[in-house]
Amino acid sequence: MNRSVTLRIGRSLATSAALLAVIGVLAVIYTSTGGASRHSLVDEMLVNLMLVAGMQIFVGNTGVLSFGHLAFAQIAGYSAAIAALPLASKAKVLPGLPFGLGDVHLGALGAVIAAVVVALVVGAVVGVVVARAHGLAPTMITLAVLVVVEQVVKNWKELTRGAGGLSGVPVVHGSGWLYVAAFVALLVACLFHESRIGRFAVATREDELAAPALGIRLFSARYSAWVVSIAVVGLGGAMLVLSLGSVNPKQFTLDRSILVIAMLVLGGMRTVTGAAVGTVLITAGNELFRQLGDRWKIERFSDLFLGGVLLAVMLLRPGGLLGDRDLLGYLRRRFRAPDRPAPPVPERSAALVAADIVVNFGGFRALDDAGIRVRPGEVVGLIGPNGAGKTTLFNVVTGLVDETSGSVHLGDQDLSDAMPYQVARAGLARTFQNLRLFKNLTVRENVELTSLVAWRHRTGSLPVNELLADAGLTAVADRAAGTLDYGNQRRLELARAAALSPAYLLLDEPTSGMSDAESQAMVEQVRAVAAKVGAGVLVIDHDLGFITRISDHMVVLAEGRILAEGTPAEVRANPAVAEAYLGSQA
Amino acid sequence: MTQLIQNLVDSLGLGGTYALLALGISLIFGVMHLVNFAHGELITVGAYTAYFLFSTVGGSWWWMPVAIIASCVLASVLTERIAFRWVRTANPFTMLLTSFALERLSHALWQIGVSPKAKAFPKVSWAFDTYQFGDVRIEKMDLVTIFVTALALVVTALVFKRTLFGIAVRGAAEDFDAARLMGVKANRVILGAFAYAGLLAGVAAVLILMRTPSAKPDMGSAWLLAAVIAAVIGGMGSFTGAVAGGVALGMLQTFLQSYLPEGTLSYLNDAFVFGVIAVFFVIRPQGLFDVTHAERV
Repeated sequence: MNRSVTLRIGRSLATSAALLAVIGVLAVIYTSTGGASRHSLVDEMLVNLMLVAGMQIFVGNTGVLSFGHLAFAQIAGYSAAIAALPLASKAKVLPGLPFGLGDVHLGALGAVIAAVVVALVVGAVVGVVVARAHGLAPTMITLAVLVVVEQVVKNWKELTRGAGGLSGVPVVHGSGWLYVAAFVALLVACLFHESRIGRFAVATREDELAAPALGIRLFSARYSAWVVSIAVVGLGGAMLVLSLGSVNPKQFTLDRSILVIAMLVLGGMRTVTGAAVGTVLITAGNELFRQLGDRWKIERFSDLFLGGVLLAVMLLRPGGLLGDRDLLGYLRRRFRAPDRPAPPVPERSAALVAADIVVNFGGFRALDDAGIRVRPGEVVGLIGPNGAGKTTLFNVVTGLVDETSGSVHLGDQDLSDAMPYQVARAGLARTFQNLRLFKNLTVRENVELTSLVAWRHRTGSLPVNELLADAGLTAVADRAAGTLDYGNQRRLELARAAALSPAYLLLDEPTSGMSDAESQAMVEQVRAVAAKVGAGVLVIDHDLGFITRISDHMVVLAEGRILAEGTPAEVRANPAVAEAYLGSQA
Repeated sequence: MTQLIQNLVDSLGLGGTYALLALGISLIFGVMHLVNFAHGELITVGAYTAYFLFSTVGGSWWWMPVAIIASCVLASVLTERIAFRWVRTANPFTMLLTSFALERLSHALWQIGVSPKAKAFPKVSWAFDTYQFGDVRIEKMDLVTIFVTALALVVTALVFKRTLFGIAVRGAAEDFDAARLMGVKANRVILGAFAYAGLLAGVAAVLILMRTPSAKPDMGSAWLLAAVIAAVIGGMGSFTGAVAGGVALGMLQTFLQSYLPEGTLSYLNDAFVFGVIAVFFVIRPQGLFDVTHAERV
């Protein structure tokens, strides 16, 4: 096991143990001063902690809101109840139990495992649909799933006994097992957050377009997060039922989904620490308001608390009380595995060739038989007036826009129909005209993420520290990328692309908004970085000075066609270029 | 045949009400990318307004619709001023949860301030009188619903085609930044959109309350869910889509209820409806009417 994996596990163990220890101490203080009802509140909180940790894995890391997780807690809860019910009482309350379940009886541990497996099987199918969808659709699908599962549970009376639910499930006594289960839930959430696929999921949350452009596959990141989170939520559902001894549909309503979501966002959904803090605060606040309500004879006073807290957090601190402050993140900064040594720069011989590209947007022909060729190690500048089709050409090459006809090749590899993440893994790394950094992540994490992709899907990457130092970002490495000034953000985006060890860097207006001095420095940085990773460069810019200084070869695009190409001197001397690009000087 | 016509009338009535609500949701989504889960609460506001007016000053269904609609418009505008204005630039997740928080708060306030139990008020005496056309029996209320909905939709179409406000809103829905550069005032357009959404919700509330004259803290939720789904089915931000989605959902519900075999399956009506919806989103996640938002890469 290598050092970085050991460290990940160590950090996750330490974080979950520390969080649970704090919660345990608070719980002991609380229960030692009151009656049995206090114990049941602690049990409820531990179950909620599992549900919230499970939700955090998907919602927190991918940023896709789900209302449907409790449906899987419900599936697991009923599975656990049916598995654990004694045979005699099962024969009495559920005489028509299908699938031969009437003869199944499992102990508590067996019932929990069976419950998680059942939830996982259903979740794995639903997850395919959720992880493929975009925009609002996944949230709506989860909402539909919640309603469908609720209706099926209420109506499939042979299996569930309907709306009344099942009782008489053997109870697991004492909070001990709940602590163990909560620890497992927190640990899984931490491990996922630390894992490579977890980091990828976070990248998709931060920018749905930039992540694939750096080689991250949206589907697999979201799907993995979904499956793992369903397992943990299933654990929560099973433990809920086994700690109460009964199960019914009222335990898994949309209202409870919202309660769990409120717990998740109050502390800060992006981190496990935030999820745990939110769970404790909401549980405590809810109980306080419930008791006040009892004293003042106000029914459902705690609903006011829930709505009020949720509204206040969203208006005042949408990232949660803690934001990105996190025990796990602190440990990650404190105990870091040393960078792996850089692999030797490979000999690159594949040229990047886009040929005969035609793109129609409705009736508008954005690119008309345009093409471009970049040889290994070469810097090619692409200029042209606004609307000439420069960015469209970039988007065709990187798979963001489908060409109507034409082809894109990297050496022998046909990238014409490749998805953005495949293009990136093949060795094309791009930056964006309007900056698409992972804003809530630190500068280092931005670069680290791409480096992870490079080690997994390419031949490896330059050390992160070296990339940061070259970009002059060492001093700000632990700051959130979104807080950097404009020039630094541009430099970070370049460093992040370089971490992919690309065969070609595609830079879309790297100097836009920069001063002359900065753009001069950018020439040096681009050339240095490209030389270091052995990459060719295709660069778009409006700044004619910048582009002539940086390019070995220039291509001029106008109205979707190649107007001219050649060395910078040749292109500058071309009268057609002067007319189209600079306006007629005659 | 009789059954078919009966179902069509029923589904138009139900679907029309969904359409009015979905249109409001889609309108607000268009101008600020908010999926407003608090939109259904406007019905609750309208219901309690009617309840209070009937029980304090006495009232008549002759002028009650005006009071209900006014209260909905006011409440809609208030949510914008109190809450949504402050999260306008936040991500959709934050906005969605803000609306959820308002929904919770609304439930809690009615529960605590009035009562968790339903409060009834006088009904419309003629609502369930029927007309007989051959074998088809149609309730007066069905006709009123269909007529009022159609009128409201025609007026809405005119407003969005002909008035400066409507054009500004449509422009903002397409590309807010560009609209602002053309001199569209963001605050005014968004507030106007909320007011208009409140107006449509008010009309829906009147139609709903004339059928079931009672107020309950969580009465808005079921309508809201259907309306959001209708709006998303139609394609969020598409006004034609919202209407089509509302009618489609109304038809789906009515026809499933009528044609599913008797027995267990008919209890599963909701499960079927949501199952169909889930499958729909798998096939067409962008909704019936695709609204492409200009996102520059």
